[in-house]
Amino acid sequence: MFHSHTRKLLVALATAATLAVAGCGGDDESSSSSASGGGGEEGGLIAIITPPVENPFFKAEADAAKAKAEELGYETSVASHDDDPNKQSELIDAAISRKAKAIILDNAGADASIGPVRKAKDAGIPVFLIDREINATGIATAQIVSNNSQGAQLGAQEFVKALGGKGKYVELVGKESDTNAGVRSKGYADVIGQVPALKRVARQSANWDQQEAFTKMETILQRNRDIDGVIAGNDTMALGAVAALKAANLLDKVTVVGFDGSPDVISAIKKGEARATVLQPAALIAEMAVEQADEFVKTGKASQPEKQSIDCELVTKDNADEYGVFAKKS
Amino acid sequence: MSAPTVDAPATSHLPATAEGRRLRIVNLLLELRAFIALIVLIIVFSILSDSYLTWDNLVTMTRHVAINAILAIGMLMVILTAGIDLSVGSIVGLAGVVAGVLLEGLTVGFLDVRLFPPVWAVVLIVLAVGAGVGAINGALVTRFGVAPFIATLGMLYVARGAALLISGGETYPNLGGSPELGNTGFEKLGSGEILTIPVSIWLMVLFAALATFLTRKAPFGRWVYAIGGNERASELAGVNVNRVKRRVYMISGVCAAMAGLIIASELTSAAPQAGETFELNAIAAVVIGGTSLAGGRGNVRGALIGAFVIGFLADGLVILGVSTFWQIVIKGAVIILAVILDQSQQRIQRRGAAVAAASSISDNPRAAPA
Repeated sequence: MFHSHTRKLLVALATAATLAVAGCGGDDESSSSSASGGGGEEGGLIAIITPPVENPFFKAEADAAKAKAEELGYETSVASHDDDPNKQSELIDAAISRKAKAIILDNAGADASIGPVRKAKDAGIPVFLIDREINATGIATAQIVSNNSQGAQLGAQEFVKALGGKGKYVELVGKESDTNAGVRSKGYADVIGQVPALKRVARQSANWDQQEAFTKMETILQRNRDIDGVIAGNDTMALGAVAALKAANLLDKVTVVGFDGSPDVISAIKKGEARATVLQPAALIAEMAVEQADEFVKTGKASQPEKQSIDCELVTKDNADEYGVFAKKS
Repeated sequence: MSAPTVDAPATSHLPATAEGRRLRIVNLLLELRAFIALIVLIIVFSILSDSYLTWDNLVTMTRHVAINAILAIGMLMVILTAGIDLSVGSIVGLAGVVAGVLLEGLTVGFLDVRLFPPVWAVVLIVLAVGAGVGAINGALVTRFGVAPFIATLGMLYVARGAALLISGGETYPNLGGSPELGNTGFEKLGSGEILTIPVSIWLMVLFAALATFLTRKAPFGRWVYAIGGNERASELAGVNVNRVKRRVYMISGVCAAMAGLIIASELTSAAPQAGETFELNAIAAVVIGGTSLAGGRGNVRGALIGAFVIGFLADGLVILGVSTFWQIVIKGAVIILAVILDQSQQRIQRRGAAVAAASSISDNPRAAPA
């Protein structure tokens, strides 16, 4: 899950305001017309609704879902709700009125999305949630999310290994009002807490933000120049820490671990600037959702449980070449 | 136009009575409150942590302050005319993105070539973009009569959206340039040093010096204060109000673009989301520095000290390891406190003026209202 990481309300609004003109809003009308006229037994429409696609993570999941659905012979409509529950509700209304066969949704809020999802279900359209859960079960046909807790433990294990089980480290936490910031931080603590020789000398939130991470890291270094590692709640903050360590000539002494599997951090790993990141398989999850939607459309029932948690993968120098944009290269 | 009484508070004309002296001392303390607050901050944090008052940390903190200080200088000019510029944070993001495009190679479609302008040209183009956005703000305010709050709020969205559109939402990860293209050296802006002082600090000094000259010595500065004091009167006195206003928004745009360049240079990468909510930090610095949001009163020195108070406080709290939530609460409390103190200063100045007036009528200063 990415949640509202780098996305704040302002950006969402800004995007809504400007991209509406530039075609994002138009996307839900610009269905691919490659499939034969919708509504028949074969094919039909799959509506894909995600958070703003300027974030490469969401773009990766939207692209993967669209490609998979078209491969399976569906028409697609791709639209962004810009993290606005109201816009999400309108997009779901549009999908209902267009008699979509299924909706693939990365939702705009765990509580605010319950109503619109139920509305689709009542209209006979199955909803497959990806990336983020909602606070209700039995409404969506599936909720497929990546396992943040497992991912954090994976990252922390690599971090402990890299430090040789001892030393001083700094943790950069994400936006603390975001559930994922807490889940990841707890995952880190569960693993690192078992190694008494590893001492956390500072824990600061940098709000998922690169520049804030840079500034805070520089300030933390004023007090603790002798740190051995930095573990960050996401990759943008990890990159901020890398920039600060580089400026302080400490990069070769300090191990940096991030989370998300962003292309920028993967390239930093290849250069030896960062040690590892935890990749959330956004594309894989989107494809799974489309496959399950296809199955549901054809058979009328779901073979998988509603709640599905997909493991994250660790990316290090050894396997960095195998990964592309939020997915393993095929 | 007569220059407004920015640096000549009414209390300086006070008679040498006990009441006058007391008011004068209180007023002096209030005038210097932001500076005193800064000294207190430094003392308190130095006691709490021995990493605080070191040369290295002071330089690092000042470098962090430089970004907000440059924004605050631009914001000050706008606020002095009784305007406001909410778009500066978005201009920071847009500036970084434009620098990213230019440094990673600008493809000119119809010529089918890829241009790699040298770093000095990139800097000039980005500053020009900032000035251009400011010019649009200015035109909206003067030509179309849009209230500054609304015009620049709109620009906040438009500029941020433009940054996202240009970059496709992605970060430009490598602004280092390459030697064979002759466009290396961009990172010097954020991490280079001249005489062991970081370039960004020199830039802050340069911007502050220019702004001080403008506000104190140049006719332009007097017009800025005059417009903030009484726009109609300045217009009648022959000040070209619209032109002055357009210029202050352009200055603010240039300052914001400079801040965006410094940030992109420090990170050697440019994210379209950079600078979110920076406009609020800049306004806070200006307000802590004793500038009136109603215009006409305030100065560069105050805005700078305001930026230092915010930055030194924020970094000190990080060094102490205070939780982020408390950091936010404390910052807010400091802003509110600053405004409360500002109000009391104004009250005392009014009282001082009354005392002075009364004593000039009557030989008996005791007749002045207590």
